[in-house]
Amino acid sequence: MTATPRSRRRVLRAGLTAGGLLVTAPAVLTGCSVLTPGAPDAPDPLESPARRAEADVTLARAVADGHPDLAPAATAYAADRQAHAAALRAELRRLNPEMAPSSSAAPAPAVRPAFADSSDAGNALAAATSRAQSEAGALVAVLPGYRAALLASIAACCASHAVVLA
Amino acid sequence: MSDLPVQALQTALAAEHAAVWGYGLASAFLPPQSDDKLTEGSAAHRARRDATERMLRDAGVAPVPAAPGYLTPEPVTDVASAVAMVTTLETDAAVAWRSVVERSPADPAIRSAALDALTGAAVRATRWRAAVRNDRLTVPFPGLP
Repeated sequence: MTATPRSRRRVLRAGLTAGGLLVTAPAVLTGCSVLTPGAPDAPDPLESPARRAEADVTLARAVADGHPDLAPAATAYAADRQAHAAALRAELRRLNPEMAPSSSAAPAPAVRPAFADSSDAGNALAAATSRAQSEAGALVAVLPGYRAALLASIAACCASHAVVLA
Repeated sequence: MSDLPVQALQTALAAEHAAVWGYGLASAFLPPQSDDKLTEGSAAHRARRDATERMLRDAGVAPVPAAPGYLTPEPVTDVASAVAMVTTLETDAAVAWRSVVERSPADPAIRSAALDALTGAAVRATRWRAAVRNDRLTVPFPGLP
C-alpha cells in the first residue's frame, strides 16, 4: 500500500472510530476537512482549474468547428488550454500518485456546445477566458511557490486570449 | 516582510528599468497608430518600477538603479525591430515577475502585485505581436523561460 495523505486519513479515521472517539461526531471530522487548508480529504485545489481547462478545450473546439470567423482565436485558445490541462494534471499526479491517468486523454464528449450565432459563440469564449483567469488568479495568493507560478502563467495566458477575443 | 524575495524583486526591477528605457527608444521608430500601446506600456512600467523600488526600500534594501545604457539583442532601426524589442522586453518582464511569484511566500500583497505585473506584460506582448502578425499571438505559459 502506498502511503498517501488520503490513505493516512483513512487509517486515522478508522483508528479513531474504533476507539469510540467519533461515534456520535462524524460532523466534526467533516468540519475539519473543510476548514483546514490542504486537509487530506479536501479535493486538491488544482482539480477545479484542471477541469475548467479541459472544459474550455471542448468549448473552444466546438466554437472553432462551427464558426470559421472565430476559428483562429478559438483554435489558439484550445491549444493553450490543452497545455494548461496537461500541466495541471501532471502536477496533480505528482502529488496524488493514486489518481487515475489524465482525463484529458478521454474521447471528446458526444454532446458539444452549440451557439445561435458567432456573436453568441464569441461571447461564450470570452466569458470562459475571464472565468479561467479569475479562478487561476485567486489561487496564486494561497498556493505554494511552484503551483502559484503555474497558475499565474495560466491566468496571464487567459488574460491574453481575452485581449485577442475583444 | 522578512521573507521578501529580494533577489527576484531586484531582477524584476532591473527588467522594469530596461522596459522603461526600451519604450523610450521604440517611440522614435513607431508610427502614431502605436501611440496607445506605447503610452500604456510606458506608464505601466514606470508605475511598476516605482512600486518595486518602494517595496524594496520599505524592507531596508537599496533598489538596483537603472543601467546607464542598454544593448538590444538586435539593432533597432525600424518598426519591425522596434516592435520585436518591446515584445522581448515584455517577455523578459514576464519571466522576472513569474519568478517573484514562485519565490515569494503566500503573501497576498506581493503575490498579487507580481501576478498583475506578469499579466500586464503577457497582455502587452500579445498586443505587440498582434500589431505585426495574425497568428501565434499568445504563449501557453507566459513567464516560463
